[in-house]
Amino acid sequence: MPRRASSKTHPVWLVAALLLVAGALACGAYAWMMISDPYRTLTAIDVPTYMENADSLRGNVYKLTGTIDSELAWSPTQGRLFSVLADGSKTDVLPLLIPPELDRVNIQKDQKFYFKIVVGDKGILTASDLKKI
Amino acid sequence: MRIKLPLLIAALAGVAGSLRAQVPDSQQPAPATAAPAPAAPERAPQSSGGGGGGEDSAGGSKQQGSMLGGDVPIFDPGTEIFTWDGKSWHATDNRLFQARFEKYLNAPEETSAQDTAYQQNISAILEDLAPGNATVAHVDDAFRLLSRAGEYDIDARLCDSIADAVYSAWRAQDNADRLAQADDALEKERTRMEWNANVAATDTLTDEAPSASDKTASQLWIAGQNRKRDLETGQYTTHLAEIMATIKANQAKKELSELDAKIDFQALIVQLFLQRRFQHVLICTRFYRAIFTDGDTSLKVGKDANDLFANTSGMPPTVGTVDSMANEVIRDVREGVQAFQFLLSQNELESASNRLAESFTTGEYLPEIRMLPRTEKRQALKFVQKSDQLLSALEVKDYTLAAQLVDDLSKTATDFDTSKATAAIETAKQISDLHLAKARNAAVSGDKDTLEEELKEATEIWPRNPELAKISGLIFSQSDVQQKALVDLDELLSQHNYREIYNDKMRFIAAAAMYPDRQKQLSDVLGQMESIETSMIQAQEMAKQGDYAGAWETVEKTFQKFPDDSKLNEMRADLTTQAADFVRTIRNAQDLEQKNQIGSSLAWYLKALKIYPSSEFAQDGVQRLTKLVVLPEPES
Repeated sequence: MPRRASSKTHPVWLVAALLLVAGALACGAYAWMMISDPYRTLTAIDVPTYMENADSLRGNVYKLTGTIDSELAWSPTQGRLFSVLADGSKTDVLPLLIPPELDRVNIQKDQKFYFKIVVGDKGILTASDLKKI
Repeated sequence: MRIKLPLLIAALAGVAGSLRAQVPDSQQPAPATAAPAPAAPERAPQSSGGGGGGEDSAGGSKQQGSMLGGDVPIFDPGTEIFTWDGKSWHATDNRLFQARFEKYLNAPEETSAQDTAYQQNISAILEDLAPGNATVAHVDDAFRLLSRAGEYDIDARLCDSIADAVYSAWRAQDNADRLAQADDALEKERTRMEWNANVAATDTLTDEAPSASDKTASQLWIAGQNRKRDLETGQYTTHLAEIMATIKANQAKKELSELDAKIDFQALIVQLFLQRRFQHVLICTRFYRAIFTDGDTSLKVGKDANDLFANTSGMPPTVGTVDSMANEVIRDVREGVQAFQFLLSQNELESASNRLAESFTTGEYLPEIRMLPRTEKRQALKFVQKSDQLLSALEVKDYTLAAQLVDDLSKTATDFDTSKATAAIETAKQISDLHLAKARNAAVSGDKDTLEEELKEATEIWPRNPELAKISGLIFSQSDVQQKALVDLDELLSQHNYREIYNDKMRFIAAAAMYPDRQKQLSDVLGQMESIETSMIQAQEMAKQGDYAGAWETVEKTFQKFPDDSKLNEMRADLTTQAADFVRTIRNAQDLEQKNQIGSSLAWYLKALKIYPSSEFAQDGVQRLTKLVVLPEPES
């Protein structure tokens, strides 16, 4: 009796397929992330430099990714002043003024945001835009 | 006179107690005999107060021509105090008596040939005039011996005064025989003196004369012999001149009335009695009886003198009264001396001294007193001197010396009564010590007023209290310590070395207690130091729990107020190392705040809060800078 030819898939093909799927997923995720950070074109603020001498950064626009630590002050005309824990640090907390124009966004402790910030006079950071992560 | 008269009267009155029991022989020349005591004298003083003699003295002073003048002294034998002219004296405890008594105790016994001869003379006179023996011949012989007795110094010419009175009485009685006898006696005495003078002059020329060729030596020898002769014959020629003067005076004497002569004689008797010349009193009274034989022997003296004798004898004063009193005094003195000698042999010096003092007071001129051996008197002298010293020590409140003297006296005199002196000494000591204790407390508490008052009291009570010197020394040394502490305090304040002040705070608190300005400065310093100490203790506790940031912050806050404290600085340095991260964060924040880099500074403060959430420095910084970022809204 003649032998029948085998129909089983070769394992190499299976591994290649899995790698392909994982790569597709990673690319998708990266692409999603890139698409979700609206200030990806902005430079992240150099926290150590800021803390050393904020005046040297005056007038520049930066991106800040951080978590709301606490609200320090509020004024209907001047906005809200928050302390923001910079992403990737446990103790670097930056003061950030959220002007009244951004009152539409509810901001609470422990929420993470992307901030578009401007280094103003006396080194005060003011958010010009923000997006909740 | 104001001093001597009371002393003499004291001698008279001192024997009053014993004499009250005597019945005067009135006009009988018999010796005194014992009899029941009469009623107590009406005028005897009841107390020794200074008001003695009030009524009587006043009465006496009104009597013009009183023999004793104004006031008559009054003696209280119960207390041995006599009062005169409003003043009181203790008979034996006064300076005048003590000085006189001490002089007597140091004087040698009068047992020389001259003293013996004088006493023999006096005894011969008394023998001639003794009752039952006073014949005319004996009286004349006694009169002759009077002149001889007057030669002796100790007689003080009292015998001459008696002879003068006797002669005047005979003159008044116009008794030619007796006057002739008296003149004859004086003449015999004059002859004797002349002979004595001649013998003395001849006896002196016994030395061998130098050769005639040596003129200078001869002249010196003659001059020397002349001086010798003058000295030897001087005493005789002087007395001879006196006798001759007496003879001339007697010849020129006017005839007195018998009454005047009697009064003169009585006055002499009283005077001699008051002078305590009791042997002369006896001579006088016996002459008086021999001369005035009319039986009238009552003394015609003033009221005060009359009362004096009447109160002491209980009978009206007569020659017999005075005679018996004099006899009694002589007997009393003799017994006193015997008692002294017996007590001395028993080593009972206090009683012996008292008996001798009493006997001396009354019988100073009697032979029993004058002939007492000096060796015996000296034994009493030591006791008397120490007794006087004890009185002086108590008077000047030298109780240390007084206690020592009491101890010495009690050892030397078995009968010395220590109770009064010891009680006085111990009481004074205790009260003085009590005041000193109060003064010590006042010194410790800084109460200057009480200190001064108590020291004054203690000093007044016992000026030489040894404890007083110790306390004073203590106070003065405290004062020195205090002054040194104040100087140190001022220096440390100027150096801001509050830590040293705090370390020795007890000394400075005590020193500044009486200085309000320094007290306030010290209080401020100690307040600061307490804050520092409190923060350091807190920091230590925090550090123990691992809270170095909190410990540093606690110390740093205090350091900012008191940056000069070395101990705080040391701890701060240690904690800076321990909490280096936090300290660097805070200092960065503070530096940037000063540079007006509000954003960076605020970031550092926020970071500090992350490290040490309780940090007041960080909280304050955040609060301060936040207000600069978000300006507070003006209230509508």
